[in-house]
Amino acid sequence: MPPASPTTPGPFGSKLLRKSSRSMLGMDPQKIIKTFFGANSGITIVVLVLIMVFLLREGAGFLSTYHHELEVYRKAGLEFCDIADTPLKQQQQLTSALRRAKASAASDEAKRALGDAEEAFETAIEPADEIVSELKTHATETKELANEFHTLEVGRLQLLAAAYSTSDPTRKADLLKEAELSKVDAPNYEERIAAVIDRREELAKALTDYTTVLGTAAVALPDAVADVKTAVPAHIAEVHAAVKKLETWSWQEPVSFFTAARSFFFGTGWITNSSWQDFYGVVPLLTGSLLISLVALLIATPISVSAAIYTNQFASDQEKEIIKPVIEFIQAIPSVVLGFIGIAVVGDLIKGVSQWEILSWIPGFPIQERLNIFNAGFLLAFMAVPTMFSLAEDALNNVPRAYSEASDALGATKLQTVFRVIVPAAISGILAAILLGLGRVIGETMVVLLVAGNRIAIPDFGDGLGVIFQPAHTLTGIIAQELGEVSRGSSHWQALFMVGILLFVISLSVNWCARTIAKRFEHPKA
Amino acid sequence: MNNPFAGDNTRIQRRETAARWALRMGSYTVVFLTVSIFLFITFKGLPHATKPGFLTELTSTLHVIESKSGEIIQTGPAQADAMKQKLGDQFVSEKTISYSGGGILGPIVGTALLVLVSVSVALFLGVCCAIYLSEYAKKGKFLETVRLAILNLAGVPSVVFGLFGLGAFVLTAPVLTNAPADRAIFVIPLGFTNLSFQGWDTCVLSGGFTLAFVILPVIITASEQCLQAVPQGFRETSMALGATRWQTIWRSVLPFATPGILTSTILGIARAAGETAPIMFTAALAFKDKLPWQKDLPPLPADAGMFAHWEQSVQRFLGIFTESVQALPYHIYTLAAKIPQNEYSEQAQYGSVFVFLILVASLAATSIWLRIHLRKKYKW
Repeated sequence: MPPASPTTPGPFGSKLLRKSSRSMLGMDPQKIIKTFFGANSGITIVVLVLIMVFLLREGAGFLSTYHHELEVYRKAGLEFCDIADTPLKQQQQLTSALRRAKASAASDEAKRALGDAEEAFETAIEPADEIVSELKTHATETKELANEFHTLEVGRLQLLAAAYSTSDPTRKADLLKEAELSKVDAPNYEERIAAVIDRREELAKALTDYTTVLGTAAVALPDAVADVKTAVPAHIAEVHAAVKKLETWSWQEPVSFFTAARSFFFGTGWITNSSWQDFYGVVPLLTGSLLISLVALLIATPISVSAAIYTNQFASDQEKEIIKPVIEFIQAIPSVVLGFIGIAVVGDLIKGVSQWEILSWIPGFPIQERLNIFNAGFLLAFMAVPTMFSLAEDALNNVPRAYSEASDALGATKLQTVFRVIVPAAISGILAAILLGLGRVIGETMVVLLVAGNRIAIPDFGDGLGVIFQPAHTLTGIIAQELGEVSRGSSHWQALFMVGILLFVISLSVNWCARTIAKRFEHPKA
Repeated sequence: MNNPFAGDNTRIQRRETAARWALRMGSYTVVFLTVSIFLFITFKGLPHATKPGFLTELTSTLHVIESKSGEIIQTGPAQADAMKQKLGDQFVSEKTISYSGGGILGPIVGTALLVLVSVSVALFLGVCCAIYLSEYAKKGKFLETVRLAILNLAGVPSVVFGLFGLGAFVLTAPVLTNAPADRAIFVIPLGFTNLSFQGWDTCVLSGGFTLAFVILPVIITASEQCLQAVPQGFRETSMALGATRWQTIWRSVLPFATPGILTSTILGIARAAGETAPIMFTAALAFKDKLPWQKDLPPLPADAGMFAHWEQSVQRFLGIFTESVQALPYHIYTLAAKIPQNEYSEQAQYGSVFVFLILVASLAATSIWLRIHLRKKYKW
């Protein structure tokens, strides 16, 4: 029997060989399999890119929409009214402070004096108030006209676009005709604004008169309302500033895209669904998010780092078998459950504790709101612990054994070894762990939505540290709360997607920082 | 025997002990908090969760009727009127509390469906990706980019995934339809029907796919670790016997990695079940009085053929993918944030939270236990 040579294989061998060298579409099947798996892992890249694409698709139009809205805001004279309105609002605060003082005043005489002062305040502002409210009505009408025109114009442009893309001549003619019919004139801003401008002098005069009356009335104020008395000069200065601003204000001054961007990134008001004017400024949300994350980090870092050091260096095996699974288990607690615990338990607990006499030295105590920044930060700290713990423990684990052995050989105690040798060697990993914990905390939604108190305002830093016991709103919370209620493509919708883009960028950069730190101080593997 | 050269080191020792205890406190605070949360929820939730019907009824509005004798009757909307008639002039007042009556069958079914879809998608993509990373990939630009993408994907906030799911699956994903909607970005005519990029609307499929990408990084990382844990010798032996790369993976690597991969999948399930923000805009509803497969369809004419009946059954069955559902985490959010709090809403709250926590916790515990068990069994 001749031996089967590789060129002429036997019947059995030929089958085997044919099978392995069969090709599909001219490609090696092994290569196809490899490409298939490669393509699957490429999906991660595709998804990351798609997240960016879809966020941008829905949010990219925001700046131009918002720019247009701000333009109308100026041209219709709403901005003018708002300039005049700021001192009026201040005046209301002053008067209500007077009213409160009057209600709590002891003697009838003091009551009468305060009542007189209050009346003087009220009558002095009346003329200016009247003018502003008339102007406001006028400006709102202009804005409505502008909005109507905008809607019609968008519709007309759509019709024209449809007309140019269709190939059917009769349909094209129809569409063009329809577009022609829906054509309306742009509102005549110049004519409309004239009514506002005409009254500028009058308003300025009314406001100046008001300040003179106020100045004399303030002198007569009793000392019981010292805070009002001291606030008056500042208020008067404010009114003068407003008058000056009114005089130089011009409706024709163009609104740049830069202004719209600035108004989003640095705007201090997030005002939506208002009948007057919507503003989308992320500063209050960003401050809320950052404050909450800061509180969470301050609580979580010492706990999780010390837990990691303890478990890695000191704990016996039995202790490890309790601590590690329990901390891992925290990761599985859904955030909505923690949020619920924040509402149902922690809130009342904090509020109750804050009413203890012995704790009244803590700034902000006793607290008013049970849902506040501290509450949210506390629960988020709890959520961040597993992430920070396991990463920090990994970092400690990666310190080469030789380091601790060398330290032991030199006669260092265990504590000295841990804090002078092992922790410094692992410090980059621990820092990265803290940063990744921050990333997790900033992106968390349900806890802050339920527990942070959802007040859209920049927290008042006036009470120092007590600021952490105030309610706040966050970047993540605002998306979860408002997106369900807005119509697609509106400026509000786009603004929320812009907030999403901001969050995405923040989380990517936090991630990047963590990685850079971890890489930078990597020690050689021993 | 005393060492005559030793200095006085009681101070040092005291400091050692103090520091050790301080560190120990850190660990035990966390353990203590976790255990107390768990016990608290169990204590408050167990009595409500074990009420008859809590796990088997759909959610409804709770009617609380007070009678003159001071008796308080809690009942569903169906029996409320009958109860009032029965009480007659004994009737004093009636309070209604939304979403707090009945049981939580709807949310449980919804969460189960969402998890099913998301884990199937994420497991397929994740394991394939892990196989590539562990068995095929060679150092290079592509590998680096994939690793970077996985790391970043793991850091994206869940609410941003929600926005992505809304933009991608709810509003853009392709469907086969005869009548494309206006909002479709583009429509590809296929002759018999159209492939229209108009999105799947809020439904289980959209939510499941969104969740799949949330847990994808977890599954990839865990699966890769399991594949790496299979000793290199297994692969070398197989290759030495003349097996192809794929045969090696299929016969000598995957069988040993599968238990580990499945274990980590359980953790992925727990994660997917627990997320709320990604399903808020893509799948979840605050209230629904039907299960997803009980869709309302027009009644068939009497002479309808078998095909029509069959078609309707299929349509109903497909409801498990194409309907929006209640989900447990979103149900808890609704109960905690959208309705006024009182003693009656509290029952539903603690009951749901307890069931949810037990569900997720038992998944996580199984996973952790299995891992320890497997580690002992497979030691190479």
